[in-house]
Amino acid sequence: MTSGGLDDPEDLDPGLARERTELAWFRTAVSFAALGGAMLQTTPVIGGLILGMSALVHLLGRVTRPAGRVAGHERRHALLLISAAVALVAAVALATIFLASDSLFPLRR
Amino acid sequence: MSESEPSGAEGGEGAPGRPRESEPDARFTFANERTFLAWNRTALALIVAGLAIVQLLPPFPGLPWGRHLLAVPLIVFGAVLSIGGFAEWGRNQRALRRGEPLPRSPLPRMLSVAIAAVALLAAVLVLLSEAVE
Repeated sequence: MTSGGLDDPEDLDPGLARERTELAWFRTAVSFAALGGAMLQTTPVIGGLILGMSALVHLLGRVTRPAGRVAGHERRHALLLISAAVALVAAVALATIFLASDSLFPLRR
Repeated sequence: MSESEPSGAEGGEGAPGRPRESEPDARFTFANERTFLAWNRTALALIVAGLAIVQLLPPFPGLPWGRHLLAVPLIVFGAVLSIGGFAEWGRNQRALRRGEPLPRSPLPRMLSVAIAAVALLAAVLVLLSEAVE
């Protein structure tokens, strides 16, 4: 493990790890987009919101990309936002199930 | 991990009773972040599976609540997995900063148990619906 100044080549260029991480962010954004697209059919507004989230995830992955080193606290906020977004999507999914007019346990008649 | 230049962000250098922390190798930080993102994609997949069960599957004959019984735990566990993934990322990052061994994650075991439980429940529902029919 290395640390310290930027004189270490691994600190300046962590190899393909950065690229793999960018691809992971992209896959996560695509996952949000797929879920949003699937929900467009039943609940267009919520599906559109989740599609918007996918753009947000993609932007977060790019905005928080470190130039040379990783800024821990900034990435922490970005990752917290992703977790909150997924939890929100779960809550929306539950609401969608129970608010559906043909639901067995509808919350809204 | 070198201790020559501790991070100021989550510092702790020289604080009494607190271990020294330093910025870990970027490759390890990236790997930790990829793991976090992978857990969140898994969480999204569980949520999608739950939604698909309710919206795409035909109802179990004689068991109209069957689809909800399968879907709700999947969706709730998706949320739990996402929050757990974030907590896991934080624990791993702290261990990396301190040069300690990475803590064992309960998430893989939880995921295995949850999927096995839902699969078992699905099998029971199929058998029950056939019996009722």
